This record gives sequence, structure tokens and C-alpha cells, in this order.
Amino acid sequence: MIHRRITPYLYLAPCFLMVLVFIYIPLIQNLESSLFQWNTFSPQKTFVGLAQYVQLFQDPIFYIALRNNLYYAIISMIIQVGGGLVIAAILEDKLFRRVSPIFRTVFFLPVVISITVICLLFDFVYHPHVGLLNGFLSMIGLEEWGRAWVGDSATAIFAAIAVSQWQSTGYIMMLFIVAIQKIPGELYEAAEIDGANKLKTFFHVTVPQVKEMLFVTSIITLSGAFTVFNEVYILTGGGPGHASHVLGTYLYHSAFSRDNMGYASTIATVILIITLTISLIQMKLSKTGKE
Amino acid sequence: MKKMFKLFTNILLVSTFAVGCSSSTTTPASNPEPASSQPAATVPSGETVTLKFFHRWPKDPDKSYFDQVVKEFEQANPGIKIETEAVLNDSYKEKIRVLLGTNNPPDVFTSWSGEFAYKFVRGDKVLDLTPHLQKDQAWANQFVQTQFPPFTLDGKIYGAPMTLDGKTFFYNKEIFKQLNLEVPKTWPEFIQTLQKIKDSGITPIAFGNKAPWAVSHYIGTFNQRMVDQETRMKDYTRATGTFEDPGYVEALRKLNELSPYFNKDVNALEHQFARQTFIDGKAAIGYFQKAEIGLIEPNIKFEIGFIDFPQIDGAKGNPTYLTGAPEGWMISSLTKHPEEALKFVKFLTSKEMGEKYVKNVGKLSAIQGTVHANTATPTQIEAVDRVMKAEGFSLWLDTDMDIKIVDAYLAGAQQMLAGQKTPEEVIADVQKAAAQVRTEAK
Repeated sequence: MIHRRITPYLYLAPCFLMVLVFIYIPLIQNLESSLFQWNTFSPQKTFVGLAQYVQLFQDPIFYIALRNNLYYAIISMIIQVGGGLVIAAILEDKLFRRVSPIFRTVFFLPVVISITVICLLFDFVYHPHVGLLNGFLSMIGLEEWGRAWVGDSATAIFAAIAVSQWQSTGYIMMLFIVAIQKIPGELYEAAEIDGANKLKTFFHVTVPQVKEMLFVTSIITLSGAFTVFNEVYILTGGGPGHASHVLGTYLYHSAFSRDNMGYASTIATVILIITLTISLIQMKLSKTGKE
Repeated sequence: MKKMFKLFTNILLVSTFAVGCSSSTTTPASNPEPASSQPAATVPSGETVTLKFFHRWPKDPDKSYFDQVVKEFEQANPGIKIETEAVLNDSYKEKIRVLLGTNNPPDVFTSWSGEFAYKFVRGDKVLDLTPHLQKDQAWANQFVQTQFPPFTLDGKIYGAPMTLDGKTFFYNKEIFKQLNLEVPKTWPEFIQTLQKIKDSGITPIAFGNKAPWAVSHYIGTFNQRMVDQETRMKDYTRATGTFEDPGYVEALRKLNELSPYFNKDVNALEHQFARQTFIDGKAAIGYFQKAEIGLIEPNIKFEIGFIDFPQIDGAKGNPTYLTGAPEGWMISSLTKHPEEALKFVKFLTSKEMGEKYVKNVGKLSAIQGTVHANTATPTQIEAVDRVMKAEGFSLWLDTDMDIKIVDAYLAGAQQMLAGQKTPEEVIADVQKAAAQVRTEAK
């Protein structure tokens, strides 16, 4: 009997240990180090309690970063999840069946390119003097719209967000395509017989049927939006000034440029709380896991 | 589907390859020499000592120079193997801080001088070189002596200077001749000259401040000119910095006066791009390091001249000071092979290697007598003369004070150049950062 009771846990043990060592223990260590002020080669850690949390909530750059993350989240939800679903529905439509493999590939391609490479490419696109974007604008006679995209505090964060959309929409689209392919064809036939047009079919058949996937993708996108780092770090480095910092880059900046590891841990904890809350709310709302 | 898969794998391959080509490179040490007839004195024959060597020049021509030096050193000292790693500028600043915090730091590494170096010293991470310099006077005397103070804290020397550098306005002689301009000496003359250049449709000053260390060099110079030396040194020290002298605001105002004469979009352009603009003859003036002569001179079709930093009326700082700081070599205090590491540093700073450095890399060496007709161009020789004439140096601002104050300065200056902050607001931020640093330093 004992044997029976223990065996399953033995099978679980390696996995559990891995998760413990690589996720939960660092998590607790991070919480602990957010209570100290220290840097990588300071002789001792100074206990400061919650002082760094107080400092963080009075820090204007923290709010800039948070606001930028919110922009990221909202825009990503609209373009990646919304746009991805629309593209997926169009590609899965009978009319596009023949060409859809090509488009699928084209839209999915950016996903497999390294983000570093993409950002370096976009650096050329955004370059104020020799960049493609400003060149294109002046070609179609909209010179006055051209600007120093990543060097202008008003546009820097949106320039970075745009790169993410360009890269990730294809991924979300692929997930939706898989979901749409699972919808039984009869539903569409029935809708057609009932006289529903394409738009109505989309809203009354496709959307409800991919609801589960909709929640999965929005969790991916939202938590992605709050942990974003690469695009912003490579394209703008948080500048000009601190205008385009997101929580991730501000954390990095605090840890490695300002030598303030404790403060960085504080930011990390806040990021954790935000993403955790988001996924908890979404799980509650969607009651996922039924399928 | 199969085709698609193939395409994906290809792209994956290509992209990983491209990532592999980015700035961080690790060069394994060249093949160990077979037992030679002259084993090094410090190492018992048969045993190999491995030194970790970390520098910040993963790009040519510097990279191949250092690879060559390592090779020659290994040939001369068969018992010692060098493992080299190199990471570019800004990443280096971050990585070296983390590496020195571990128990396994590189044995020999490069560092900027000033506060950047002092931080390591305070953390007890760097070997004190003073006794070794005293023991080996010949080695100590061959350095340009003005380059030691930036590596000195509390009377002890922690770094062996390698480069010699200073910031100067470079100007395009051809453009000045075309527009019939004289080399300006005072601040009003300088502004007038810039206006004339601007009126002719040429960009007066090429400037790229996407990575904001570039503006720190301007601020450093203006601070040195506008604030008297004693106050400035007091403010740059962590425990006593207040930045309350009105000269700091005045310094930023002066920088702001130059704003209309920079190219557009300074915050979106890299310094390299600004340099290229100057090289292409599209800008008349650039504020460059002497070390950049080697990068500029071979590529231009015109002659370059130097403008001394214009004299400002009522400035309290010494006008013969130059902004610039050496970079040098440090040895980790945790190294297991201090003697071998010292030997390598001596090799790196030998006159022969210094001459090669000047000749092959085109930068100026802190070893005396390395810049001469055989190794350098006339422009470089003139540049060295100017550096030697300077009565003192104000170090690079971004390595001369605590990183938190630097951060306030640089982020603030970017916003100021974009017209979003006034000099007073920037200095207010700096004072706030300084107050925080003061409490930490206690």
C-alpha cells in the first residue's frame, strides 16, 4: 500500500524539484533581496525593509514605465489578439483556401527570426536620415510626418511596440488558425443556410467557438506586454531620457547601470505581482482548463 | 509543409548565425606552445598557468591587435596561457561590474579611470600596483606620468594606463577655407562661426547622442570651465557632492546655446553616425576624441584641424585643462597568479607594444615616446603635443562620478536637448541624486 502511495510522487519528484530550484527558490530569494540595498560587489547588504518599495512608488520613472507597459498591453491586445483572429478567420475562409498556405508562412516568418536581428533591422527602418520609414514617407509626399522615431520621446515607445506587433501577430494568428480548424464545418453550413453573411458568421460562429483560445492568447499577450524587454532595450535603451522605459528595462537599468540590485529586485517583485494578478483574473473570468 | 519546415530551419540557422556574429566574442587562446628551450622563470616547467583576460574591443583593428599581443606573449612565456574575452563598450561596463562581483573574476581586465575604477577599489576587487611600480622603476617611468592620478585612490595606484586621450573640436579645413572662416578662440567668436556655417547650409556640428555618453563629454568640459576646480572636485566626490554651484546650471546653458547648431535628431543618432557625417564632409565640426583620429584620418578627402575649446568669459575653471581620461589595465585582487598577471600587464604596456598599438590601431598610447613619425601621422603627433601640454585633465564625466548622478545627468541632458527640460530642472535632478549618493557614502 505504501508502495502505491509513494510511487506517483517519486515520478513527480524530479519535475517538482526542478520547478522548486529554478522558479520558487529564486522567487523567494528575490523577495528577500528586495528588502536590502546592495550591489554586486558591495561588501555587505544593508537591510532597509520596505523603504525601496516606498521609493519605487514615489519614483516618476516607475510610472512612466508602467504607463508604457499599459500602452504595450492595450495595443498588443487590439493588434495581436484582435488582428490575429481576423487574419486567421480570413485565411481559413473558403475563398482563401488556395493561397492561405503562402500567407500563413509569410505572416509566421517573423516569429522564427531572432528578436535581436529584427531590432537591428528596424534600427535601419527608423533611422531619421537614411531610414526606410522616413524615406517612404517623403516618397509619398508626407515628409512632414517623418521624425526621429526612436529618438523622440513621444514616439520612441510606440516604435518599439510596433516591432512587437510586427513580430508576434503571426504567432497568435497561427494559434487561432489551429483553433478555427477544429470548428466543425456543419456550424458554418448551418449558418450559411440560415442566411448569415460572412460578418455574422464570424461573430456568431467563429468567435464563440475559439473562446478558449481567445483567453489563452490574451494571457500570453498581456503577460508578454508586462515582461517585454528585448525590443525596448535594443531599439531605444529606455531613452531618450527615460521616456521609453518599460518595467523590464528599468529593472535592468537599475541593476546593471545604476548598481542598485535591491531596487531592481523590488521592481521584479512588482512585475511578478502584476502578471500574477492578470493571469488570476483571466483564469477566474474564463474558467479555463475545462477543455 | 515539408518545404515550409525546411525554410524555417534555414531561417533559424541564418538568424542564429547572425546572432553569433554580434558584438560578444570569445577567442580561445591560441594553441599552447610546445615545451620551449626557455621556460619562464616564474613557472615550474611542465605546468601551465591560465590567465583570463577581459577587454572591451571586440571590433577591428583593436581586436586583432590584442589577439596578436596575446600570441606574442604566449610565445615568449610558454608556461602561460591567455584566455581572451571581449565585449563592446556599454555592455562591458555592465558585464565587468557583474564579473567582479563573482568569485571567479578575470585576472587582467581593462577599466576606465576615475569613479568607475574607484568603485572596484572600494569593493576591494583590484590589486594595488603601487609596490610593483616602486620595485620596477623603469616600468613606472615609461608612462606619461599625468595619466596615473585618475587611477589613484588614497595615494595608491590601481591601474596601469594604456591610452592617452583628450577631447577636441575637429574642424574641416576645406569648409573653413571655402567660407573664409578663422579658427575661433572665444565663445562669442565660436557661436558667430557656427552661425555662419549654418547660414551656408552646412551642418555646423555633427553630434549623435543616442547612447548618451556622448553628451557627457560636453557636460564634463563645460563643468570644468564654469566651476572652479576645488568645488568641482568636492562635488564629484561621493560623500560631499551637492552640485549647488550656479556654474553647473551655467554649464548646461552653454551646452544649450550649441543646440541650434547640432544636426537634427541628436537623440536618435549614434556617435558613429555623427563621425561619419563629419568624414563625409557634411558637417564642419565635430567634438571627437584624439583616439578617433585613426578612424577619421584615413577616410577623409580634406584636412582636419583642431579648435581649442573656446574661452568663456567669467569662467572659473583652468582653461588649459583638457577633457579626457586614460583607460588602463587592472589586475583582480582575487587572481591566483598575480606574478603572471603582472608580467602580462607589463608586456601590454611595454614600449614595443605601445608603438604597435599606435601604428596598428591608430590610437594614442600612454607610454612615452610611442607616438613618432614611424608610428603616427603628423595630425596624431600634433594631438599628442596638445595632450602633453594640458595642465590637467577633467575625466570623462560618465566615469568620473557616481553612476546614479551620471544617470540623472545623462537622461536629463537628453531631455534638455529635446527641449523638454530646462538646465535648472536637470540640475535639480542631479542634486537629488547627489543627496541620495551622499547618504549611501556615509
